Amino acid sequence: MGKGFDPDEIARSLSTLDVHDYGDVLQCMRCGLCLPTCPTYRTDGLETQSPRGRVALIKAVIDGKMKASEEFVEHIYHCLDCRNCQTVCPAGVKAGELVLEARYRIEENRTQPLIKKFLLNYAILDQKRLSKLLAPLKLYQISGLQALVRKYDILKLVSDDLQFMEALSPKLPSRPLSEEISEEIPALGTERGRVGFFLGCAMNLIFADTSRATIENLTRAGFRVIVPKEIQCCGTPNIAEGERKIYREMAENTIRIFADRRVDYVVTDCAACGSELKTYREIFRKNPTFAGKAEEFSNKVRDVSEFLDSVWTSDIKLGPLPEIVCFHDPCHLRHGQKLTYPQRNLLNRIPQLDYRELPDEGQCCGSAGIYNITHRNRSMKILQSKIEAIEKTKAQTVISSNPGCLMQLAYGATHWNKSWNVVHISEVLNRSLRAGEKTG
Amino acid sequence: MNKTFTSRLEELLGSKKVLSSESELLCYSYDATPLTSFKPDAIVRAYNEEDIQKVLEFATQENIPVTTRGSGTGLSGGSVPVNGGIVLVTSAMNKIIEIDSEDLSVTVEPGVITANLHSAVEALDLFYPPDPGSMKISTIGGNVAENAGGLRGLKYGITGDYVMSLDTFFVDGSKVKYGTKCVKDVAGYNMTKFLVGTEGTIGVFSKIVLKLVPKPKTKKTFLALYDDVIDAARTVSTIISRKVIPSTLELMDQTTINCVEDYSQIGLPRDVAALLLIETDGHPAVVAEEANVIEEACKANNVRTLKIAKSNQESDELFTARRMALSAVARAKPTTILEDITVPRPAIPEMMALIREVAGKFNILIGTFGHAGDGNLHPTCLTDERDLDEIRRVHEAYEIIFDKAISLGGTISGEHGTGIAKSKYLPRMVGPKAIELMRKIKACFDPAGRLNPGKIFPLER
Repeated sequence: MGKGFDPDEIARSLSTLDVHDYGDVLQCMRCGLCLPTCPTYRTDGLETQSPRGRVALIKAVIDGKMKASEEFVEHIYHCLDCRNCQTVCPAGVKAGELVLEARYRIEENRTQPLIKKFLLNYAILDQKRLSKLLAPLKLYQISGLQALVRKYDILKLVSDDLQFMEALSPKLPSRPLSEEISEEIPALGTERGRVGFFLGCAMNLIFADTSRATIENLTRAGFRVIVPKEIQCCGTPNIAEGERKIYREMAENTIRIFADRRVDYVVTDCAACGSELKTYREIFRKNPTFAGKAEEFSNKVRDVSEFLDSVWTSDIKLGPLPEIVCFHDPCHLRHGQKLTYPQRNLLNRIPQLDYRELPDEGQCCGSAGIYNITHRNRSMKILQSKIEAIEKTKAQTVISSNPGCLMQLAYGATHWNKSWNVVHISEVLNRSLRAGEKTG
Repeated sequence: MNKTFTSRLEELLGSKKVLSSESELLCYSYDATPLTSFKPDAIVRAYNEEDIQKVLEFATQENIPVTTRGSGTGLSGGSVPVNGGIVLVTSAMNKIIEIDSEDLSVTVEPGVITANLHSAVEALDLFYPPDPGSMKISTIGGNVAENAGGLRGLKYGITGDYVMSLDTFFVDGSKVKYGTKCVKDVAGYNMTKFLVGTEGTIGVFSKIVLKLVPKPKTKKTFLALYDDVIDAARTVSTIISRKVIPSTLELMDQTTINCVEDYSQIGLPRDVAALLLIETDGHPAVVAEEANVIEEACKANNVRTLKIAKSNQESDELFTARRMALSAVARAKPTTILEDITVPRPAIPEMMALIREVAGKFNILIGTFGHAGDGNLHPTCLTDERDLDEIRRVHEAYEIIFDKAISLGGTISGEHGTGIAKSKYLPRMVGPKAIELMRKIKACFDPAGRLNPGKIFPLER
């Protein structure tokens, strides 16, 4: 910061946010009902770390009662964007969204670091580029170097942060899923419709096997699955870091791609992507030429659990999975998309599966995009609470449906020596489907 | 206040406990009271009694004000530092020290969250009835300071009815413990009862003993729907006059119902003019008998539909929806200004009629909800602070509402406290002699007026 940071310009531009405006800031009547659900307030107990406090700070800067200082910016970046506050706010204040729009106005008025520009304005535009960026990590894992490094704790000597990032990184597939599957996969049995599959970057490059299972679950449900290979990122990283120009370009591109494929639905198995794709209708609301198309697109978007729960008829055969499980609701699913029932309905259909509710009412796991890297200490405190909540359920398998959460929870399990497995719901459903096939 | 002031405070308490950055001062300048914000000069988070004592002694040396704060959910400006100085936050002192299930009491630190206390004692089949709307985040210390009420007030009373003993620090840092765990205790003046509801102007509580009661065995929840709000209001006095005191008797008008339904989506009917949420609890035989009387009272007052909650979950949903009412009406307009008048129960229909009339006369939107069973109503103006003319009309309307409440033998505040918001109306209600007496009492404890200045009595500038 420092150079290229214009507090006056930030204050001026905050008064016209983006989709929201000053009226939405005034909407907060400061009742404080958001406080007990906010992960950072729960951790620190400080008003500055609460949704009510963040809205008050934004209002104060707009009103000219406070400067848009570097401290203000720091507070705006402390938010995990879990949107739990939006779920509980009776007044309908979009505290999380207001914070993201404040970031947009901040970033617009300060110089962007080169690495950020490279990632958000260039790398993210093409999944092949992203794949190449991951190549060194892949080589590192395949070559056996990883095993050596981990065995001798070598990275501890180099940098603590580097060691943390290394520990967080999962085993990469040899090739991205997009390079292995065809663009159209026919339905098994009678075709019931055409599903466009939004293959998110992290799913494609890291959790390829999971998305393979998702696609199989969809075809088994009687849907032809269309996987456009040229799609770009959904834009979540951009919006989280206050970048909205490339975001809108990528969003328009995605909307056009799926319109061309004439699909009935757009399904994704990444909660973050799903939440973002459903938000396009809001982001383009004030754009007269594109609002209709965005609305039409967002209306077609379904999270994979939401979709399967609505299309799985009673003749779907599910085999028994005798294990204790819990489901960690990704914030982008529970708060971003307001979905809690579909994933529970699906799991409760599996014979002998002992589903236990996590006793923390949808708290964030602390992954939150790259929050666990940018705000590691905070993230780890939040993760620790999550690990304690999981422990209480005695679950053998922890299920979720967002790549960030899966990596964070797997890291937590290793770090705190827990024996549970962390898996995506698609894999659990796929196992049960296959078991059902065997038993006939 | 200069830099050395903060650094000396940090030296005294450790830097972790002292907050003084620009953002922090801003974030501790408000509570839930609309249009009210004053920045402190520093914030101290107390972790124990020693911290409280040190802060008070330091403030005495420096001759600066101290304002105590819990979670900042008050509705009369009680924790807003009108004259700056130190905001003393006690929310980190949040231990439940002892639950005495033999003798039915609980000892807590002031920062314990009300709802956390509920679940801790209910797990042992005990019951702490006071349940203010903000109970999921409000602190017991704040509840005692404001003498908070809630939905169960008419049958079970309010916070003050449960306070048995208070460890209290005075403005010079000295400490006195008043009260005991005994049900009967008439030794000396009843200072415990006096301290309750003093809104942080007399002392800072560090330890609180609360009375508990056995958890009711069963309950029955009704939802009564009306085509006319006056019929709903009449039902309230009919139930009471037939010698039944429900554990809850809540009213919501159409504006409130629609806002609550927008948020909670639990299927409240949007076309009714008003609803009553009624609950009776206790021994099954008593509950059954009271339920009959309630049903008859509703029917005698033209109830459109009377529903009975089928499960505890359904009843909880209705109660949660009611508790959200204030925040939910805030969704209709950018600014929400609510009041807290209370009138004798037979006067509720007349009060409701006046509120309706005033809303029409001044062309403002008022949503009314409240604890009708104890006469406590929250006429809430939904407005926009940027529209100065409308804000002026809102204040004029409230003048008339307050005068009416007083003339009906009611009060300007049932449960939110006088604070800053209503200090102007207090003399009108209690008269100059009573104000003079209150000022003398305040001066006994805090002659320099440094403890939460500007509350109850308007500042003399």
